[in-house]
Amino acid sequence: MNETMTTSILSEFVAGAKSPASFKEIRSEAEAFLAENGIPSKKHEDWKYTNIKRWFDNGLNLVSANDVTFNSIDGVETQCIASVQEDALIGSSAVHTKEAHAALNTSLFEKALVIRVKKGTQVEDELILNQTINLKDGEFSATRVLIVVEDNASLKVQHHYTGSASNSSLLNNLTEVFVGQNAQLELNYVQEIGEGNLMTTTEVSCERDANFTTNCIQLSGKLIRNNLNIRLKGENVETHLNGFYMINSNELFDNHTHVDHLVPHCNSNETYRGILAGNATGVFNGKVFVHRDAQKTNGYQSNNNILLSDDATMNSKPELEIYADDVRCSHGSTTGQLDEDAVFYLRARGLDEFGATALLLTAFASEVLNSISNEELRAILEEKIQAKLKEMRA
Amino acid sequence: MSLLKIKNLKARVEDKDILNGFNLTVNPGEVHAIMGPNGSGKSTLASVLAGNENYEVTGGEVDFNGKDLLDMAPEERAREGLFLAFQYPVEIPGVSNVNFMKNAVAEVRKHRGLEQLDAKDFLAFMREKQQLVELSGNLAGRSVNEGFSGGEKKRNEIFQMAMLDPKLAILDETDSGLDIDALRIVASGVNKLRSKDNAFIVITHYQRLLDYIVPDFVHVLYNGKIVRSGGKELALELEEKGYDWIKEELAEA
Repeated sequence: MNETMTTSILSEFVAGAKSPASFKEIRSEAEAFLAENGIPSKKHEDWKYTNIKRWFDNGLNLVSANDVTFNSIDGVETQCIASVQEDALIGSSAVHTKEAHAALNTSLFEKALVIRVKKGTQVEDELILNQTINLKDGEFSATRVLIVVEDNASLKVQHHYTGSASNSSLLNNLTEVFVGQNAQLELNYVQEIGEGNLMTTTEVSCERDANFTTNCIQLSGKLIRNNLNIRLKGENVETHLNGFYMINSNELFDNHTHVDHLVPHCNSNETYRGILAGNATGVFNGKVFVHRDAQKTNGYQSNNNILLSDDATMNSKPELEIYADDVRCSHGSTTGQLDEDAVFYLRARGLDEFGATALLLTAFASEVLNSISNEELRAILEEKIQAKLKEMRA
Repeated sequence: MSLLKIKNLKARVEDKDILNGFNLTVNPGEVHAIMGPNGSGKSTLASVLAGNENYEVTGGEVDFNGKDLLDMAPEERAREGLFLAFQYPVEIPGVSNVNFMKNAVAEVRKHRGLEQLDAKDFLAFMREKQQLVELSGNLAGRSVNEGFSGGEKKRNEIFQMAMLDPKLAILDETDSGLDIDALRIVASGVNKLRSKDNAFIVITHYQRLLDYIVPDFVHVLYNGKIVRSGGKELALELEEKGYDWIKEELAEA
């Protein structure tokens, strides 16, 4: 593919976009995918409820990345790599050859933040990534993260998306994650981006005996779409993927998850829960795919929603696709109202209506929050949840 | 001054009139039993007094300790000292008993101008009240009523009553479905909480409970009104003869 052609393809999507010189191979693969498939519209099954294409149709201008800042802690190597250095693992998940937003990210990211924990290193402190999004009208930016936890190592990461971006901007982040043999990773996301729009992809690969937990707490945003794909490549992997979202009027949060059980004896547990108010829209689409060889798989998935208003909409689609014959899998989805009998019971003991509601909804959230190991973070989130609840009930 | 004065109370649920001019006065130190056949309005009375919004009050007045009870939200009634032991206590997954009671006791104490308890005192207070109804030590961490047996749920109601120290407690069929041991525990809990300053309304279908919680007055509720009042011997008469003789007498009158 020659350079003129490359430029023209990308600038079809984002004004002024041109692939940086580095990472030639993966970028040309990504561009080829984009050239063939474009940005998916609502006609695409995976994008039925979430129209990101309209941001592109309205015209977006590429701007330099909103950098991810991080703390420096013992046992973790962090570096920002740009044009000169390259890391062989970036793009090795090949997600950019399967999905348009991952392809777009791969074509356009300028720098990648590489986080690496060497073999056998148990990291005590928590790595905290902060990403303050300050994109203005019509601006687009792509950020890239690579997390490598080598064999027998362990790490905990928090990735906070904050800021007050324009409601006509879009941030696209792609995080590739490699969890080595017998390694452990807890990856917590907090998404609180005001009126901004966010499109994330987290592409995870787990080796034998690995333990991977991810929790995603979504508190504000005009539109948030998270794609989470986990490939269980080695036996005896345990993975927990959880989400908790609070969606108010004029917000749309969409979580698409995909767990691939490729080999026998792996466990996946998925719990997504959310509260919707006003005319909020939520989407959950979780797929557990058990391949033919993945015997003795345990795969559990649940999605529970509480609607605080008649105008809120939740589109929930848990999916199981099983090609092995000796597995234990289940999935379920519920969407309902707050239990009025429970509210009355609590009020009859002296709690006011908000106190009763908050207690019940906090309990509802706790199943997800409790899988965050950091108590301090959990306490902060509980406060944020209370604050958001006040907004939602206003 | 009377603690509770109900005058000509009328209430309905889903367009069906249930209470049709109910009158009752309760003074501090008294225990009133309200008995009656199924559908006579016993549980409606309890729900209306506690402020359940599924019931519509269509007439009458209720004075509670000098205040207009019907004008108060359910939580205000609780803070003012009215307690309903639910016929069907609600299961609340994920909310621990200790967290629930901490919130409830804090609200009630704040309203009554009492100092808040610190964590240590609160737990000691909770343990003391648990013993009253023989609820085991691990109650605190368990979710409210979740997975409780019928007897445990009713004992938990009496435990909560002890924690909140109400002026007036309404026991809504607290005895129904209890085995004799659980019934004894519940009744002995109530008896220990009786004082000259508080009062109880014991709503029951069966006379058996009244062997353990001895009432000062027994009232028969029928078609949403009290049709007969008497002393504790009235309960025995009802047990023996059933309710039909009252219905017949009313039909003749």
